[in-house]
Amino acid sequence: MKMHMLNKRRIFRKGILSNRAAGHTAATVSISILSALLKAMATVACIIVAVFFIIRIVPGDPVKMILGEHASPSEIIQMRHSLGLDLPLGQQFVRFLHHLFMYGDTGTSIIYNVSTRTLIAERTPVTLLLIVMAIAITIVVAVLLAMIAATHKDGLVDHLIRIFPTITLGMPVFWVGLLLILVFGVWLHWFPVGGTSGGLFGTLYSLTLPAITVAFSQIPSLVRSLRAQLLDVLGSDFVVTLKAAGIPNRVILFRHVLRNASIPTLMLLGVNVSYLIGGTLVIEQVFGLKGIGSLLFSAISSRDFPVIQGIALYCAVAVVLINLFIEILSGYLDPRLKGDD
Amino acid sequence: MSNHRTISKKGIIATALALILLLSGCAAGQNAGSKKAIKGGTLTYGRPASVTSFDLFKEITSNNAFAIDKVFEPLVSFDKNGKVINWLAKSYKVSSDGLTYTFVLRDGLKFSNGKPVTARDAAFSIKHHLSAGGPLAIEAKVDSVIANNKQTLVIKLKKPFTPFLAQLANFSNGIIPYNFDGKSEKQFFKKPIGTGPFAVEKWNPAGDLTFKKNTYYWQKGKPYIDKLVFKTISDDTQAVNQLKSGEVDAIESVPLENAKALSQGSDTKIQTDGSWVTEQVFFNTLDKNLSDVHVRRALALAINRDGLTKAVTFGYAKTAHSLLPTTITYNSDASVKALNYNVAAAKKELAKSTHPKGFTTTLLIASGNSAVKQEAQIIQAAGKAIGIHIKIQSVELATFRERFFAYNYSMMINSGQADFPDADSILAFQTDPKGFSKSYWTHYTNNTVTKLLYAGEQTADGPKRAKIYAQMQQILANEVPYIPLYYPDIVIGHRSSVKGLVVLPNGSVRFEDAYVK
Repeated sequence: MKMHMLNKRRIFRKGILSNRAAGHTAATVSISILSALLKAMATVACIIVAVFFIIRIVPGDPVKMILGEHASPSEIIQMRHSLGLDLPLGQQFVRFLHHLFMYGDTGTSIIYNVSTRTLIAERTPVTLLLIVMAIAITIVVAVLLAMIAATHKDGLVDHLIRIFPTITLGMPVFWVGLLLILVFGVWLHWFPVGGTSGGLFGTLYSLTLPAITVAFSQIPSLVRSLRAQLLDVLGSDFVVTLKAAGIPNRVILFRHVLRNASIPTLMLLGVNVSYLIGGTLVIEQVFGLKGIGSLLFSAISSRDFPVIQGIALYCAVAVVLINLFIEILSGYLDPRLKGDD
Repeated sequence: MSNHRTISKKGIIATALALILLLSGCAAGQNAGSKKAIKGGTLTYGRPASVTSFDLFKEITSNNAFAIDKVFEPLVSFDKNGKVINWLAKSYKVSSDGLTYTFVLRDGLKFSNGKPVTARDAAFSIKHHLSAGGPLAIEAKVDSVIANNKQTLVIKLKKPFTPFLAQLANFSNGIIPYNFDGKSEKQFFKKPIGTGPFAVEKWNPAGDLTFKKNTYYWQKGKPYIDKLVFKTISDDTQAVNQLKSGEVDAIESVPLENAKALSQGSDTKIQTDGSWVTEQVFFNTLDKNLSDVHVRRALALAINRDGLTKAVTFGYAKTAHSLLPTTITYNSDASVKALNYNVAAAKKELAKSTHPKGFTTTLLIASGNSAVKQEAQIIQAAGKAIGIHIKIQSVELATFRERFFAYNYSMMINSGQADFPDADSILAFQTDPKGFSKSYWTHYTNNTVTKLLYAGEQTADGPKRAKIYAQMQQILANEVPYIPLYYPDIVIGHRSSVKGLVVLPNGSVRFEDAYVK
């Protein structure tokens, strides 16, 4: 990661970003995309196998969770049989793969008796909206704070902004969520305490506090990185040249400095997306949101194998695709990275 | 049901409040308070888990049970004191030999689709439950179930089984239309039709559930509310916050640390009453150390149960002395000679054992419940005081069950709960070494206790039966296969504007008298 950053910085300074990309042959690009794709598929395959076996090796039986403590062994045996849980693991795995490739589904939920695909599809909009809102808030706030800090280097504002990440990084994200709920939900009644309600606008409104909470955990590292990038670019030769040419500071800042500095920051954000997804899962629980995260939580505690597998697969594919996208994008933006491979 | 919350003892204020609410909310009688009741509106009830099935014959966990009982109703039911009362049957008669039960259905009973309810429907339902078995299977040896005419159902038993009537009060003996109203079983339970106060309007097994009022309900003019929404809020703190902000009208799961604040809030109240639960420490009597009765007695004497109850339940529980909770008839909590806190006596008792100098053992608990964790720590300290070193093993619920089902534990904290209002429910599950639960996985075996258990099942209600259960509870208190710690209360939180909720000792709530002011 550091090596990549250094390379990028060097390139940005020289301002030769797009010229180098044109020099690359189409063949090299497609081969590298192909190898990235293959790697991604291998990763997903490993995840499928690992999740299938890990969740079955861990102690705990979905049937006993459904039937409780008062079910007789014959009841348990009967239900295990009807769910196919009494088959040898290998056979269960073959069945699972067959189902996955035939129907694109990891099976029917043991607890809800609904196909996993339906469950995930139902829950995706909330989670997706939350992630998008969180990213949007993160970018807006981080860019703003970083710009203020960079333009007031070593001033009071800069110091305050630099202290901010130190404090917030020490706050557990669920705690921040609870605090926001208490202040803005319970006391001030500005936002709903939890859940989502009524149409797109209602949903967006209900997701405001959770999105701020998720953003809160992402902003600090981004501010820090972006501020450093901005300062770096601000001190570079081309900025000095622009200044000498009499171009106004505001234009230099927005049109040249921010643009150059934001690319590595966006890369960092991209890398952080997996953490962001993880954070979202916890936050859904705190805010009582019916998204993928809360589904995963209940699925794990009740050992709902098909749902756990489905969500793991879904999240894995999402993260792998995002990483693949970033890899391809970074190759496109910074041709030198291809040389590193 | 099996979703046991650690609940607790009510304080004077809470009791007074509950009484006022019960009186104003017409909890005691079905007709009381109807003058004041406001009709219409929606009541939203926050619950920790979604309703995944309405199949009354196959379900047991509280998330489903407390939704099933809104749609399906049995011939007899129980009141808030656990007393068996007429429900769909306007009367019942038990023959003197205890073998024949005759039920007469109420006049003009209808299902939520408007079709009349007949004894044929009732016979079909009971017969189907007998063949389906399920986690709440009918334990009586039933000889025949016959609909004598449209309103009369006669059930004959092969041998007397006194708990039968109480068992029939269970939601699993609810009445469904004959032959699933002509649908397949699976189809029927997707759109269930029953006689209960509510019918399913919209249901997401992984989300929320909306009931609409059953306009054919047999209690005239009820329910008052038009809609009842079960909103799934898995996080307790989130549920409390939604109650405080008014996003829900009531919540099922109140963390005990929040109960007092809710009861004193300007917009919130709690309702609390005794439950059918006994929180206990269980001993694996096959364990090399705990098979010694003196060791178990020593531990019972070493634990300050009063102190423990006060420390972990915030006043929403009663200290337990006998196995049966005080809400169950024939409990001997007041009369049993229990091994009460006495460290000197505990040390003497241990000295009589095969481990006079103490030993090291483990205490298994399910994680995620702060009260249980505290209990474990108190028990650990009590053991240490007499030389028994207890290591606490905290595992996730699913793993916890796997462990004790396999007898892979030495000591554990768990709660025993009656499924129906009869002493036999808890006693059979916790003392019968021949039952699948093997005396609640303690493997406790005592022939006298087993004989008394069977005798109690066949003895008609009265002083003779009372004597049998008093004797059983005394033997259990002496031999300590488990230490009863406390009887937790049911605690339901609601907005001050909500009136008429009736909290039942199994944790369910009756909404037919409820309304929002």
